[in-house]
Amino acid sequence: MGIYTLTALVSVVVVLAIELLWLRTGILRTWRYWLAMAIVMGFQVPVDGWLTKLSDPLVLYNEADMTGVRAPWDIPVEDFAFGFGMVTLAMVLWVHAGRREERRSGTGDGAGDSGRRQEQRA
Amino acid sequence: MERGEYLVVMGLCLLITLPLELLLGARVWRRPRRLLVAMAPLVLAYSIWDIAMIAAGSWSYSEEKLTGILLPFEMPLEELVFFIVVPICGLLTLEAVGNVLTALGRLRAGEPLGRVLRDLPHGGGPRPAPSASTEEKVA
Repeated sequence: MGIYTLTALVSVVVVLAIELLWLRTGILRTWRYWLAMAIVMGFQVPVDGWLTKLSDPLVLYNEADMTGVRAPWDIPVEDFAFGFGMVTLAMVLWVHAGRREERRSGTGDGAGDSGRRQEQRA
Repeated sequence: MERGEYLVVMGLCLLITLPLELLLGARVWRRPRRLLVAMAPLVLAYSIWDIAMIAAGSWSYSEEKLTGILLPFEMPLEELVFFIVVPICGLLTLEAVGNVLTALGRLRAGEPLGRVLRDLPHGGGPRPAPSASTEEKVA
């Protein structure tokens, strides 16, 4: 345990709070979010694995500031919380920004075809 | 090449996700204003976190594998690139998965494969697309 472990966990809580208490996009209740997230976390393994490999690392961590658990390969487990939080936040902000654009351009009902066409025009 | 290795990894991430935009109609790169609005607060927040962790000595970066270009507060250029590239890869994945699910729904509804495939690179297609405004519910 250390500052990275703590802040990584806090980041996930903060991102979930932003979605559930504030922006409420509803994205966490969709298939596309969870499927996309599974794919993103899958690709995190080779990319993050390359950045953190202990034999020849690009990014270095102070082992005292984390659990020290590294898997798979040499990826600190904290990185998965970091990545989950960051990509979830991006998706929440993206969907929210899309809704706002739609509302501003006058398709407040957001229903079906008109909503999508508005999005495509933007 | 060595000193650009981190940037090369980021470039590969963009390259490998480009078909999501071009073939699966993700329409993330084609909505730059929305992308900027969504990304700005994220890049700011994660840069602050990064800067704090660097200052605390928790995170550091290989001098051989990074360009050595430092932004204000000693943040490596590569970290800023990371906070832009990785979330965008996530958004491309989200939109592409949504479009594929929409296409599968149209196929199940009996639409011809050719038409569904033709619409895919342009996004959800002409049918009302549930992913666009009202999120599709988990069954």
